[in-house]
Amino acid sequence: MENCFEIENLNLYYGEKQALKNLNLSIRKNCVTALIGPSGCGKSTFLRCLNRMNDLIEGCRIEGKIMIQGVDIYDPKTNVVDLRTKVGMVFQRPNPFPMSIFENVAYGPRCQGIKDRRILKEIVENSLKQAALYEEVHDRLHESAMGLSGGQQQRLCIARAIAMEPEVILMDEPTSALDPIATSKIEELIEELKKSYSIIIVTHSMQQASRVSDDTAFFLLGEIVEMDTTRMIFNQPKDKRTEDYITGRFG
Amino acid sequence: MNVTKKQQRQRTLKDAFLNGLTAFSSMLSVLVLTILLGYVFSKGIGLVNVDLLRNQYWSKSAIVAVEEGTQSGTFERPEDLPKEAVWSEKWGIALIDAVSHEKQALVLVERVDENSVFAATVDTSAGPNQGKSYPVVPGLQVQKIDFTDQQGNANFTGMLASETAEEMVHALDQAVSIRSVFIKTPGGGIRGSLIATLYLIFVSLLFALPIGVASAVYLNEIAKKNRFNGLIRSGIETLTGVPSIVYGLMGVSVLFPITAAFGATTTNILLGSLTLAIILLPTIIRSTEEALLVVPQSLRDASLSLGASETQTIFKITLPCAIPGILTGVLLSIGRIIGESAALIYTMGTFINDSPSLLSQGTSLAVHIWSVMSGEQPNFELACAISILILVFVLILNLTVKLISRRLNKAWY
Ligand SMILES: Nc1ncnc2c1ncn2[C@@H]1O[C@H](COP(=O)(O)OP(=O)(O)O)[C@@H](O)[C@H]1O
Ligand SMILES: [Mg+2]
Repeated sequence: MENCFEIENLNLYYGEKQALKNLNLSIRKNCVTALIGPSGCGKSTFLRCLNRMNDLIEGCRIEGKIMIQGVDIYDPKTNVVDLRTKVGMVFQRPNPFPMSIFENVAYGPRCQGIKDRRILKEIVENSLKQAALYEEVHDRLHESAMGLSGGQQQRLCIARAIAMEPEVILMDEPTSALDPIATSKIEELIEELKKSYSIIIVTHSMQQASRVSDDTAFFLLGEIVEMDTTRMIFNQPKDKRTEDYITGRFG
Repeated sequence: MNVTKKQQRQRTLKDAFLNGLTAFSSMLSVLVLTILLGYVFSKGIGLVNVDLLRNQYWSKSAIVAVEEGTQSGTFERPEDLPKEAVWSEKWGIALIDAVSHEKQALVLVERVDENSVFAATVDTSAGPNQGKSYPVVPGLQVQKIDFTDQQGNANFTGMLASETAEEMVHALDQAVSIRSVFIKTPGGGIRGSLIATLYLIFVSLLFALPIGVASAVYLNEIAKKNRFNGLIRSGIETLTGVPSIVYGLMGVSVLFPITAAFGATTTNILLGSLTLAIILLPTIIRSTEEALLVVPQSLRDASLSLGASETQTIFKITLPCAIPGILTGVLLSIGRIIGESAALIYTMGTFINDSPSLLSQGTSLAVHIWSVMSGEQPNFELACAISILILVFVLILNLTVKLISRRLNKAWY
């Protein structure tokens, strides 16, 4: 099976402090990869490396290679904007723009220069359908996105990412701000989306990781302790620390 | 710990004294403000009306002549004429007594019948309008009416003879024919200064707003945090503290040549606007920066993660989200423009201009107050009336700012 990301010797420093230590891993295409680990272990930091959102943080320094389709994304020749159209992101808190639902989804394509209203309309409808939101909002596409519920807002953010037709969608604890019903809707959605996209999801919930993911990587203090299929991690962890963490005996 | 009764009592006393002191101070300041407002309102409210806004400041005189051969007639008193107005049945004109803002007795025209001789007068004053039609219309002051009486003698009646409306109409009843009328347009209005103030607001914001917003965007969103940009920032902050009279001096000496290039020969409204634009820059930069700061980072992240460039993010997300805050800055600036006087006295002059244009002199409302107060006979009533207008305007501005910032706080999360 193909890989969507291949990471070699990745080190990341915030100023003097090393946040990621010599990571080596591959992430499979069209799979859901879960990143688990105690908070502060570098999961978000790692995720943000994959679409270079760390570029904005002052004092952040990165060593090593992250290959996508054989190209290093930190190569000076790589265009960040192009990379981000290939690697979409959904954040911890739903963060729709204070605009209409339609404009939220059309934002990415518009930034790429698509102006034709017919094409935009098609993209918006398709994306909302894929994000399982269309039925709920089709009659109020031009109302403000701020009026949606938290779960709907998060699905709108997913639709907004899908509109760019990315290859990978990064999700940083996408359900941590949502109630259980909204969470289960997003989990169902992830199940559906992995047919067309590779998904990398940070989660603090063991159940969520075991429910939605194919592979799981366990992070601890900036290192990957163990990475394997989710079944292996949860049934036969090789490392004692992994076992402690997933059985809740950690710390 | 043992606290004696005495210590307890002392403490209660001390607390009561300090609490009383603070309450007294706040009461005092409220009292002073109330007295101030009360004075301004009681003095000025009598003059606040539509005429104040509409009239010119300088009254113009003219002598209009009645064409010869025209006759008197019998005109019926219109039913809707106010009781105080005195109607001349013979000449079809209604006069009324009034008091000017300088407390002088006036006789004003209240109504003119369309068939009256007074509706068909012509201008006799030397100038381009000589010989043109200049009918006597309501609102004009009647200084003097020259007429021929029954004995065939030339006679006159009017304010120049300290006559009232009643007496004038009575005198006109004796007239056989009217020869000419000496009229004066009403003055004391602030129309010109109102227009000049609007000019100031629009032109100074036209310059200050785009430059200020752009600078704030650069400083807050684009500039790296290095020593050079820190220097720019503290430079701008220093500008806020410079007294406006210094800006005024700078305006005359540095900016005047710019307006002269456009053909200005005296201090002018454009010069005032440019000077004000510089005074406003720090305010606009500051409030725009504050507005940009409260735009959540998560929105910028979302935009960037969707493949928008940093410039697109600024102009499509950050800046639009900051608009309410920028608007607050604009309103604060308008307040500043309305209240400014020192810098404008230098750059626009103190001549109250009834028909101001960009390259002519003029006064803002605040300078208008200065002008009417600095003459030999300070006009308190007019000054207070203008003050009321300014106060009301500033009050409205402040309420709007409050409303917007409340909206702003609700906008996200
Ligand atoms: N912008 C930053 N500047 C400095 N240190 C940071 C920054 N972001 C995160 N860190 C540090 O890096 C480590 C990893 O953080 P993070 O990736 O957010 O952890 P996780 O998402 O696993 O909870 C933490 O110790 C955190 O304090
Ligand atoms: Mg995190």
